[in-house]
Amino acid sequence: MRLRAFDLIQPDTVADAVDALARASTGARVMAGGTALVPMIRLGLIRPDPVITLHRVSGLAEIKIEESALRLGAMVTVADLERAPLVRGGWSLLARAAGRVATPAIRNSATLGGNLGYAEAASDIAPALLCLDATIESAGPAGERALPIARFFTGFYETALEPGAIVTGVRVPPVPNGAVGGYVKFCPRSAEDKPLIGVAALVVRDPDSGRCREARIALAGAAPMAIRVGRAEGTLRGEPLSDGAIRAAADAAAGEADPLSDLMGTARYRREMVRVWTRRLLAALRDGDPASSSRATR
Amino acid sequence: MNLTLEFTLNDRSCRVDAPAHFTVLDLVRDTLALTGTKDGCGEGVCGACTVLLDGRPIRACLVLAARLGGRRLVTIEGIAGGELDPLQEAFARVGAVQCGFCTPGMILSARALLEEEPAPSAEDVREALAGNLCRCTGYVKIVEAVLVVAQGRRG
Repeated sequence: MRLRAFDLIQPDTVADAVDALARASTGARVMAGGTALVPMIRLGLIRPDPVITLHRVSGLAEIKIEESALRLGAMVTVADLERAPLVRGGWSLLARAAGRVATPAIRNSATLGGNLGYAEAASDIAPALLCLDATIESAGPAGERALPIARFFTGFYETALEPGAIVTGVRVPPVPNGAVGGYVKFCPRSAEDKPLIGVAALVVRDPDSGRCREARIALAGAAPMAIRVGRAEGTLRGEPLSDGAIRAAADAAAGEADPLSDLMGTARYRREMVRVWTRRLLAALRDGDPASSSRATR
Repeated sequence: MNLTLEFTLNDRSCRVDAPAHFTVLDLVRDTLALTGTKDGCGEGVCGACTVLLDGRPIRACLVLAARLGGRRLVTIEGIAGGELDPLQEAFARVGAVQCGFCTPGMILSARALLEEEPAPSAEDVREALAGNLCRCTGYVKIVEAVLVVAQGRRG
């Protein structure tokens, strides 16, 4: 089905993009990969005009190291995140989560910036970046801004992006030494689906005592936006990763979840699945089982 | 609003005008009359619209035609230059085609997989084709056809 007609603006720089957005009528929309926006246009949910695309903006698709941190441009595709040696090498949790997004063809178009800006709670990328304590960089009429990701998602498909601003990139600090991470995506319907719930975790254990020095756990699809579950993390700090400690953390995570009911599942079911999959992921990370920690089975 | 697009289409240079709101699918089927690429769902889920952009599978129904400038597009019509690609031949021989609607997308996705992973496992094939839905065959023969081609290439 043909899209409703719109004018297209294809800026070459971030400044031009912000400028075009400022000058356009309130009906303007910024398009990155288009994987979220185009279906919405086709369904008539939004009627943007003009559409401002970012694919010509130079410098927005970088993947590089800056002072030990990973810097990713907003137009880096999800496929690039999955494949890039820098990401796989130093931030493998992110690469693995990216590899779980939808299907190969979608990953080849979908972008990091678009995924963040769309702010869907059922994002595979968001929980990984939450565990990695990423910073979201944006540019708008008031200039450039950097926001910790935990403050970036503010509600149901809502972000802290100021009006007229666009996500320009993400900065990911180095992962703590000895950390093990994993992402489990629970898809009860089919492999290419969004997660019903997703759990990302990063755990650092004391090499001598085996006790947990640091735990970071984030959930997708379990609240209006992707969230870290601080109380669950707190239950693990200083504790050995015993079955009992893991169960307590999983219970805490389920308690912190604030899911909704939809056609994919009820809130109650989602909460139970948070409990189940947080427990399974933490156990897999403890036992060094990468297969279990990266793939959700029905 | 109209755009002039210059890109490589099935190994030939192509220069064509199109409305700014056209997707690659609109351009391929309606402007260029290449109807092998199918319009299945309009949401990017079914995979019937899969084409290769710079060798990688994309959803033609989701990508604006404006993105084609300077790039290399391959549709099902262009994969074998007049003969049958080994994947096409294997799909036909093994019985992986019933109504044929999903087939162009399946073949292009499989082609992209084999370019990158010449020795895929059955699980690799199912993963790579997870974005191509088939309502007829139940997928078994499709996976078999791809594996047959992979094994054939290894000699």
